[in-house]
Amino acid sequence: MACLHDHSCEDHDCSSDWSLYKHIDTSKVSALNEAIPGSVRSVFKAWEQRLNSSGELLESNEGDPELLIFIPFTSDVKIKSISIIGGADGTSPSKMRAFINRDGIDFSDAQSMQAIQEWDLVENLQGVLEYQTRYSKFQSVASITLHIPDNFGGDTTQIQYIGLKGEATQLKRDAVTNIVYELMPNPSDHKTRAETGGGFSHVE
Amino acid sequence: MVLEATMICIDNSEWMRNGDYNPSRFQAQADAVNLICGAKTQSNPENTVGILTMAGKGVRVLTTPTCDLAKILACMHGLDIGGDLNIAAGIQIAQLALKHRQNKNQRQRIIVFAGSPVKYDKKVLELIGRKLKKNSVALDIVDFGEDDDGKPEKLEALLAAVNNNESSHIVHVPAGPNALSDVLISSPIFTGDGEGGSGFAAAAAAAAASGGEYDFGVDPNIDPELALALRVSMEEERARQEAAAKRAAEESGRQEKGEEPASTSQDAAMTDRVNVTSDEATERVSDLMDDDTALVEEAISILMNSSCSGPTMVDADMLEATNEDQELAMALQMSMEDRTKDSSSQSDISSVLGDQSFVSSILASLPGVDPNDPSVKDLLASLQGHSEEKKNEDNPPSDEK
Repeated sequence: MACLHDHSCEDHDCSSDWSLYKHIDTSKVSALNEAIPGSVRSVFKAWEQRLNSSGELLESNEGDPELLIFIPFTSDVKIKSISIIGGADGTSPSKMRAFINRDGIDFSDAQSMQAIQEWDLVENLQGVLEYQTRYSKFQSVASITLHIPDNFGGDTTQIQYIGLKGEATQLKRDAVTNIVYELMPNPSDHKTRAETGGGFSHVE
Repeated sequence: MVLEATMICIDNSEWMRNGDYNPSRFQAQADAVNLICGAKTQSNPENTVGILTMAGKGVRVLTTPTCDLAKILACMHGLDIGGDLNIAAGIQIAQLALKHRQNKNQRQRIIVFAGSPVKYDKKVLELIGRKLKKNSVALDIVDFGEDDDGKPEKLEALLAAVNNNESSHIVHVPAGPNALSDVLISSPIFTGDGEGGSGFAAAAAAAAASGGEYDFGVDPNIDPELALALRVSMEEERARQEAAAKRAAEESGRQEKGEEPASTSQDAAMTDRVNVTSDEATERVSDLMDDDTALVEEAISILMNSSCSGPTMVDADMLEATNEDQELAMALQMSMEDRTKDSSSQSDISSVLGDQSFVSSILASLPGVDPNDPSVKDLLASLQGHSEEKKNEDNPPSDEK
């Protein structure tokens, strides 16, 4: 498979560039309007396997080409470019819109909101095209939402592979990950000043 | 234990005044809603439930999704019935309310109670259904109340449009003796959310559905001690019946007339022991009989002691008992031995029964006492044990003389 990079593939292993898929929090990946729930997880794989569909791909519902894919990361990442492989017969996506660091977007939000960046796509069945991002805007990305409004005329939209190129930092965006619930207050947690031996009030 | 935000759409149109569901359609619906809210909040503490009404002046959101069950139940009060059902607007506003839920990790679910006729046509409903499916909102439909032609089909079409991987359900509840809530408890609306909801649902189902099916009309879940006591006394009665049958067979087979008194005196001797054991085993049952005990006790003692009145059988028995000291002594010995045996054996109770049949004949002459009353029978058995004991104590001294 030929790379359209300006180097020969033997010197440089392309797959390591496209390794951001390792930083995706796969359990929290979700898609709206997918025909088979959970099929979205199959599109995030290694570069070498991008053409290896083995039957699993992300497909939208019949008669409705729109797709909304929510991709959270395990740490903040910087995204340099995105590669996307669609299906044949007009099922490839024709447009892509990205939203950064917003979760819970649904179709009405996506249609009304201004995207961080939009791309017009071409049919890219070999996966050799990549779409570059405005890197300054994609510096600390905890989650990215891709909205596919339309395809090339097919009944459904099919996506075989989504690749992300960039760097991963080790920073995390959300501080609170563990919440402990208390059914009843624990008196030892709420010692009054009298119990702790009294104290003098301070005026500072 | 799915984390879920639910919006319940209530039908409060004029059609809800009808009484074909007990007590009225609206009340049955309210009960079902209360049950659902309880089940949802119990299955996962982070679940939220909101309520809106679809009829009246217009669709009105009573509460947005909240975990506070008290608030949800409070807003169910004071709802007015009137107007016409607007199911399309109701579902769309429910979807909007879910969209603005606080915790975006919750799945979205709408539960619709459709009691009045649906005036929208299938296409509109399918469009709404597809929009819900696209935004991954699950929909549960409760079809009850009015059953005009086309309504079930319309609602089925709506369900087919929404259903994504069996997460949406529909329940058709016809009017009848079963309460709306009971039918819902056993439906996938309650059990469909998996293992978590079923705990609450199972408890409610056990209480509601099978209340009348227990042997004694008492639900063991609610009152285990009473149910246990009733069951124990029932078993003992059964055992007594069996032993009585056995005894009767034994007696007729093995005994002559002469041995009859001996065996009955054996029985009498054993009854005092039986009395002790039966007291231990059936405290509650004998407690019930305490009131009668004194009266009957007196009557029996009078009968026993007087030889002029009362059936001849009794006199004959006592005479023969006094005459046949050896057999009596043997009987006493046996009763002593048996005392050491396990006290709660069937033979104890069987001897009581054997006595009962004998004593009931005594009682036949007593006015106001029904010899067939089991409690009376038990009393008599114990009483006879007492009086026989007294008599036995008298007899050995007389023997020694």
